[in-house]
Amino acid sequence: MKFFTGRVVKRAILLFSCLLLLLASVCFATDYDQLFTDANDAMAQGDLPAAIALLKKVEFEKGDESGAFVRSRMQIARLQFALKDMEKASSAAKEVLAVYPDNSEALNFLASVKQEQTPRYQVFIQDCLRFLPQLLKGAVMTITLVVCIILISPVGGLLIALGRISTFKPISAVCWFFIWLFRGTPLLLQLFFIYYGLPSMGITFKPFTAAILGLGLNYSAYLGEIIRGGIQSIEHGQMEAAKAIGMTYWQAMRRVIIPQTYKRLMPPIGNEFIALIKDTALVSTIAMVELMRSADQMFNAYFNVTALILAALIYLLFTTIFTFVFEKIEVRAGIYENR
Amino acid sequence: MKTANQPLLSLKGITKQFGSLTAVNGVDLDVCPGEIVVIIGPSGSGKSTLLRSINFLEEIEEGTIVFEGNEIGYVTSKHGRRHLDAPHKICALRSEIGMVFQHFNLFPHMTVLGNVMEGPLTVQKKSPEQAREIAVDMLAKVGLSDKRDVYPATLSGGQKQRVAIARALAMRPKLMLFDEPTSALDPELIGEVFDTIRDLGKEGMTMIIVTHQMGFAKEMADRVIFMEKGSFVAQGTPEDFFANQMEHDRIKSFLNRIL
Ligand SMILES: Nc1ncnc2c1ncn2[C@@H]1O[C@H](COP(=O)(O)OP(=O)(O)OP(=O)(O)O)[C@@H](O)[C@H]1O
Ligand SMILES: [Mg+2]
Repeated sequence: MKFFTGRVVKRAILLFSCLLLLLASVCFATDYDQLFTDANDAMAQGDLPAAIALLKKVEFEKGDESGAFVRSRMQIARLQFALKDMEKASSAAKEVLAVYPDNSEALNFLASVKQEQTPRYQVFIQDCLRFLPQLLKGAVMTITLVVCIILISPVGGLLIALGRISTFKPISAVCWFFIWLFRGTPLLLQLFFIYYGLPSMGITFKPFTAAILGLGLNYSAYLGEIIRGGIQSIEHGQMEAAKAIGMTYWQAMRRVIIPQTYKRLMPPIGNEFIALIKDTALVSTIAMVELMRSADQMFNAYFNVTALILAALIYLLFTTIFTFVFEKIEVRAGIYENR
Repeated sequence: MKTANQPLLSLKGITKQFGSLTAVNGVDLDVCPGEIVVIIGPSGSGKSTLLRSINFLEEIEEGTIVFEGNEIGYVTSKHGRRHLDAPHKICALRSEIGMVFQHFNLFPHMTVLGNVMEGPLTVQKKSPEQAREIAVDMLAKVGLSDKRDVYPATLSGGQKQRVAIARALAMRPKLMLFDEPTSALDPELIGEVFDTIRDLGKEGMTMIIVTHQMGFAKEMADRVIFMEKGSFVAQGTPEDFFANQMEHDRIKSFLNRIL
């Protein structure tokens, strides 16, 4: 009996002390929850230092199953980060690492603090170096397209212009229709039609061919109108004088009329070619990897706006060079007008 | 067959209409080799249109153009419709007839020498050296050797017109047409152009000149023609014309207006 009683008491004491411990730990835990809640309230009111002071009260305890310590220190680190105090932010994260050297949250945090501490321009340069190779590859394709169209479209434009002013009605009608069609519809639609639309009629093109075709036709139409205007702006007496010395219509065109249009055509054609540099971005929609597409790929891969800024700078470089070159050509083409 | 007395150019019944307007109305004209014909008349009387018709810059509706005894420039199609001859034939004819315009119409993108070379080079397919030689000669003839390498924009009006004359002469034309060659010039520049034309006359060039310069007409012309409303109203030697035809009221009033 005595034995029985003793065991019961012992058991009761054990049970009681367990209960007490449980109660105590619950009490402690609730205490931290309260702290976090208070800290949240302080943050909500914008009083970050107060929030930090509250969170600091969380002490490290062996075990720390609730993770309260890590939670509080990382929160402090973020708050200090927000307060731009990188020293204190790092030391808070380091406190965590001192106990848990592998804590990835703290490691990542320290990395981003370091990133934050390197100067902006250095980050930008790093990004540039990272994106540039790919972007330059795209830029080479853009320039290839531009050069091809600059070679093709003046020839196409001249043919269309001569066709338009032809007195032979069917030819001038065909050229009128061509200009009407390609100037009257979006370039994007034309590219889609050639690349995605024509295959349904059994005609397929590689992306590059489709791009050259779409841009070439479109720009020939535009230049055709410009060149026609240039030819018709040449004083009528020039054609008469050329004919009066016995030239044929085509001789007069080639030797007398068209050469005089060069200077007048340089500014509008220069504008078209600057527009062309930017319009090549549209072929990124038909599976061509040029500057715009490269920038888009970089931007999506890294979600880093530097890729877009860099692409913009490359486009600006191209357009600036073009503007400059065309001004020079214009001056040269009009050398005979200088007194 | 070419004979001594055969006219170089013979126009018969030239008629040119612009819509309902008859600009030239049945004009007949014979021009003998070496002859200088001056045509005067009020604005809109059809003088330019007549000259341009001779050079096929206008396609005439009726009439024939006989040059060196051959009827030129027009053919009749199977359907009986008359139209201009093939372009290359017209071009060949034009290169035998020089024309000088009121507004010079020099090619501004070519140097003075380039302007004069252009006909021999492009039309006659001469070598650049030959063309250059001809052009140098012609420029010397009009007294502009020192302006060879400048662009027309730098020349005075009188110099421009002399270059235009050299450009026409470089084709070695048999007939020269002048359409008011001095009308666009300042008065002090008229003399140099007429000096050039006078020199041509002395060399025996056959010329038809439309001008309002009566002094020049009196001095140079073998024949003066008064044109009005598309027709020749009166003609004669300068002495005869300015002495007798002055009785013609319309001529008198025209001359009074321009003198
Ligand atoms: N291309 C044309 N189309 C329609 N009418 C024309 C054309 N060219 C000339 N005309 C008309 O024909 C008539 C004759 O013109 P033309 O130029 O031959 O006269 P002109 O005698 O040379 O006059 P001016 O002394 O002013 O040069 C004018 O009434 C003119 O308006
Ligand atoms: Mg006239």
